[in-house]
Amino acid sequence: MYVLLGLVLSFGSAVAYGMLFNVPVRTLLAGGTVGMLAWLIFKSLPVFGAQIGLATFAAATFISLASQWLSVKLRVPSTNFSTAGIIPLVPGSTAYKTMLSFVNGDYLQGITLAVETCVAAGAIAAGLTLGLSLFSIWKGIVARYAPKSAKAN
Amino acid sequence: MMTANNHVMETCILAGRIMLKSGAETYRVEDTMAHIAQAAGMDDVYSSVTPSTIILSYCDGDQDHTRMIRVFRGSVDLNKVTLVNQVSRHYVSGQLTLEQAHQHLLEIEQKKPQYPAWMQSLASGFASGSFTVLLGGTIWDMIPTMIAGMLVNKSIVYIEQVMRVKFFTEFLAGCVGGFFVLLMYHLFPDLHLNYMLIGTMLPLFPGMAVTNSLRDILAGDLVAGMSRGVEAVLTALSIAVATALVLSL
Repeated sequence: MYVLLGLVLSFGSAVAYGMLFNVPVRTLLAGGTVGMLAWLIFKSLPVFGAQIGLATFAAATFISLASQWLSVKLRVPSTNFSTAGIIPLVPGSTAYKTMLSFVNGDYLQGITLAVETCVAAGAIAAGLTLGLSLFSIWKGIVARYAPKSAKAN
Repeated sequence: MMTANNHVMETCILAGRIMLKSGAETYRVEDTMAHIAQAAGMDDVYSSVTPSTIILSYCDGDQDHTRMIRVFRGSVDLNKVTLVNQVSRHYVSGQLTLEQAHQHLLEIEQKKPQYPAWMQSLASGFASGSFTVLLGGTIWDMIPTMIAGMLVNKSIVYIEQVMRVKFFTEFLAGCVGGFFVLLMYHLFPDLHLNYMLIGTMLPLFPGMAVTNSLRDILAGDLVAGMSRGVEAVLTALSIAVATALVLSL
């Protein structure tokens, strides 16, 4: 039941976040699906004993790969999918607890939690980066223009 | 009077300006402009883009042309980025003439956002509400958070019109949503303040800046990537301060 509710809500929040960024209508559902699957990975890995950081990293890698693949399929920039997809992974609750500890004067706990937040945020960044790099083996990182000589291809 | 050469420059700069304003990565803007100019038969095409300026130069026969413009930030609109991308792809593959491409770009620039304002604030509210439940809140927590999310979205729009200070806008919008949630919590003590507060701040999360900064850094645009990264960090900090302010009351 919880899983089903989570799937629906993560799909919904990714779609809603896509709408905030005005993504084209035809990419809306695909973006939501990316967010939903990412949330599923993010929640199911800790069941098998993975740390939160690893789960976030794996989910972010998935988001990156999926959005690159979709961008080739649908011929739209991949940002359309990845921005909305990372929403369910945002370390909101640790960031909140960090602020709560600082406000309560518990600086030691605050710093511990701040590091935890940074690890989660770094895991998102690293995952997105790894996905981009893996994908670039197939596609080349960006079709960097080269003056004149490379124009022929 | 507009010569053919001028027209190439106009089209490239227009495409670049729309894309950069609508929140495209800088390497995408550079590529798009360079592709259009090369397809128009210009030599030695170089473009250099930072989050606030565009410089394009090319050589037409024995004449050099360079143009630089300053771009002011607009609202994020990925639909426009996608459309400009399509126009440039069609022009490069020869399906559009330069004249047609320019016309299309002018139309794209005038386009209103795809989703009307009410739909966007509804989406903002829904994102907030569902994030609250995803983190462990109950369905009852969802309702006040949805209203708070809509308030946050509306207040960003209004505050931005009054004062053009980016990070302060987000801080104030976070405060508005946060105080609403705090009020709800005092009225109905059964709600979970922590989950509601996290959900309320979600629409302010700098998702665009984070992804764009990473993609720019990987594409080798270190300056653009760093400046977008700093933007993301500052936004996150202003949200954090807003949260702290609400919590300390």
